[in-house]
Amino acid sequence: MSQQNWMLNAFVYAVLVFILLPILIILPMAFSDTDYLAFPPKGYTLRWFESFFASSRWMGALRFSAEIGLLTALCTTVIGTAACYALVRGAGGLGAVFQGLLIGPIVVPHIALAVALYLFFQQTGLSGTRLGYVLAHTVIALPFVVFTVAAALSQVDPALEDAAMSCGASRVTAFRLVTLPLILPNVISGGLFAFIISFDEPVVAFFLAGIRDKTLPRMMFDDIEQNLTPVIPAIAVLLTLLSIVVLLAGWLLKRAAERKAPAAPSEP
Amino acid sequence: MAAGFFQPEGRRLSKAAVTALMLPFFSVIALVFLWPLLSLLSLSVLEPEPTLAHYQRAIDNPVYARVLWRTLVIALWVSAVSLLLAFPVALLMARSEGPKLAFITACILLPFWSSVLVRTAAWSVLLQRKGLINEGMQGIGLTAEPLKLLYTQGAVVVAMVHVLMPFMVLPIYGALRNIPADYARAAAICGAPPWRGFLHVTLPLALPGVIGGFILVFLTALGYFITPSLLGSPKEMMISTLISQQIREHLDWPFAAALVGLLTLFVTAITLVFSRLFGFDRMLGGRK
Amino acid sequence: MTLTQRGTGIEIRGLRKAFGQVTAIDHLDLDIHPGEFLALLGPSGSGKSTVLMALAGFEPPTGGTIRIDGEDCTHVPPHRRNIGMVFQHYTLFPHMSVLDNVAFPLRMRGVAKEERRARAAAALETVRLGAFGDRLPKQLSGGQQQRVAIARAIVYNPRVLLMDEPLSALDKNLREEMQIEIKRLQESLGITVVFVTHDQGEALTMADRVAILQSGRLQQISPARELYERPANLFAAGFIGEMNQLNARYDGARAHFSDGTSLAVPQTALVAPVPPGPATLTIRPERVRPVAPGSGDLQGVVRDVIYSGAGTLIIAELPGGTEFRARISSAGIAPPAAGAPLGFALPPEGLLLYPAAA
Repeated sequence: MSQQNWMLNAFVYAVLVFILLPILIILPMAFSDTDYLAFPPKGYTLRWFESFFASSRWMGALRFSAEIGLLTALCTTVIGTAACYALVRGAGGLGAVFQGLLIGPIVVPHIALAVALYLFFQQTGLSGTRLGYVLAHTVIALPFVVFTVAAALSQVDPALEDAAMSCGASRVTAFRLVTLPLILPNVISGGLFAFIISFDEPVVAFFLAGIRDKTLPRMMFDDIEQNLTPVIPAIAVLLTLLSIVVLLAGWLLKRAAERKAPAAPSEP
Repeated sequence: MAAGFFQPEGRRLSKAAVTALMLPFFSVIALVFLWPLLSLLSLSVLEPEPTLAHYQRAIDNPVYARVLWRTLVIALWVSAVSLLLAFPVALLMARSEGPKLAFITACILLPFWSSVLVRTAAWSVLLQRKGLINEGMQGIGLTAEPLKLLYTQGAVVVAMVHVLMPFMVLPIYGALRNIPADYARAAAICGAPPWRGFLHVTLPLALPGVIGGFILVFLTALGYFITPSLLGSPKEMMISTLISQQIREHLDWPFAAALVGLLTLFVTAITLVFSRLFGFDRMLGGRK
Repeated sequence: MTLTQRGTGIEIRGLRKAFGQVTAIDHLDLDIHPGEFLALLGPSGSGKSTVLMALAGFEPPTGGTIRIDGEDCTHVPPHRRNIGMVFQHYTLFPHMSVLDNVAFPLRMRGVAKEERRARAAAALETVRLGAFGDRLPKQLSGGQQQRVAIARAIVYNPRVLLMDEPLSALDKNLREEMQIEIKRLQESLGITVVFVTHDQGEALTMADRVAILQSGRLQQISPARELYERPANLFAAGFIGEMNQLNARYDGARAHFSDGTSLAVPQTALVAPVPPGPATLTIRPERVRPVAPGSGDLQGVVRDVIYSGAGTLIIAELPGGTEFRARISSAGIAPPAAGAPLGFALPPEGLLLYPAAA
């Protein structure tokens, strides 16, 4: 028994090393004083960070990706929350259709969607535009936001809204003051998720990129394919820091929500 | 079909309100998903006249048929290796709690939070001729000459497993976690030694999660684009790279559309069969 | 194929189980006779389930020994114990047919397919579910699933059958029916049964002997009648059924109450020797006889009269504020009104005296 457990533990930790290894190896290379990627890093320099921040191409891509990510997060949370709410409080019967449509963007390969959108955007002049990216990323991220919001909405007792309305609140007020605060943590984490998906989306970006505006993943793709300088690890370090900040924010948010929950009745 | 989360409850909204709230969702899906996909697929059968010739070509031409076959084989390899690695992880997670569970979960979820491109770049560094793995193997005397690791089928499989394996862990973990501890006890008291109890009771009960994870990884691997493009050579071309090549180099839209059609139809068919058998919730690691 | 077997005895010596700082079982000694139906009764957290887990082998004990049929089983893994067990939530394997579930223990013992099907069918017949073998567990009702679980537990003629609150998930009528059925089955098989429950009625109805546990310690082990009529200590007296408890001072012959009255204590009231000093005099409500005010052994004022069909419960308050209950047959004279004074006669054969609780 204990020997089996020992073997299981050893195997799992080996798998975890496999999972972590590439990430742990690429980060130190950002500080390597060589023009190619070297491990262990030779020398120590911050010049790859400098060249990232000094390059107008990289900075432009960063700003472009951030804008698209924020807009995608906004679109998906608004559209997703509205649809979830309508479904949960609707007449029923649409659930199966809705779920079928929702599964679509998850199972249809991104390459298929990317090629289809490439064609569609060329015909409509949306290629390489901010709107084109936001629409494409909204479709890709929407299912994840909907599942996150629906999970919270299914936990909200519908009688709470009835109670609010019996106190004189309108339907809209009841949603705004009762239901929305209860599902807000999930709506926000759904939005974070959508931002990350958009910010890290390489396939659609590969096909939709215009000459001028490129997203960060598209720039990275080109750099990896062509010369692979330590700018890539430097970006990896920055993205990792960003992920840590986002994860930490999400965790704090969750904790705040948990702390708020039991004391809910006393606070206005 | 179990609609799970989407059971209506509470006071009903008016039809007009439901329509207004649903409209953005359905328009986005219809305009930016269904319409572009259908109009692309229509190219494959209508260009230049109603025909199935483009599909015929994809299957009959040995060069393309080999790409399709290789795509299937690589996707199966990736799913199989992922299963082999993911199942023990999910099992240990289901048997752990507290900080240990949190640590394993964090390690498994970490890749979700780090760029696919960054990890692909990491693999290309690890696997290059003077990379860490070659130098390590020469260092301990395993090989005399540096091996060619990058731009091989093995590199593609390893890197794809690395990206997709976490998607396998979560549904299996969900399924294992949902099996009450009493089932293993009941098997033991019936006389089953641990391995037989596992084989006859735990494994069959976890099977929907295992199949769900397997299919999720398999479908994603089939259409995977980034990793094969960056770590494989033309000799390891998969369908997604072929599609890209047809569009960007040959501008052969009808043929590319037929390839997209083959891929999409295949993926949709597998999804429909699976959801008939087990339900979507299971595939996504949902808890029933 | 018949299912006859002789149960074996179990000997528990100095059993101890600690979860970190918490002691779940504290030096428990228990002898279970061959062919006996023993109920482990106690409030939740009393350690009764932990005893069962140790008997099954799921929870290795911290100390002590468990002998089954004279053989030391303390550290034998569950699958080599040859014990049958029925779980609280049945725990039938959902992916196997009813027949496959019942045949599972035989399959694990390498019994050939034909024989194990025949024996599983016979076991299903024993629990009157012979026609249900092809169904899946979820197609059966709760009571039927429970009977399948019993069939699976007895199919390989185990030495001992453990049951962990097996009836708690059933509704009341079904529960009473199953109590009789399990008891009948146990008698016809002659198997040793250890039955964990928190329902005292269930324990008294089914068991040959009842062991009462509290805080991981054995309080009393005796036949049902003795447990009810002559509880070994104040905990057992209060835990089983209703019991009036009166604080008194015992002088070796009489119990003196705080209001100055006293009552002769017969020798039969002493289950165990009681030293002179603070004591608790107890009597079951159905033993108390209400009498005219001013006569009888105690005086009180009626607070509530609760009619419940066959019987009527009178709740009165004694001078010191102590609550006192009497149960009388509803068929008798009209009960007194609330607020009326009332006397109570305490028949000497109904009295029991214990040292006062520490």
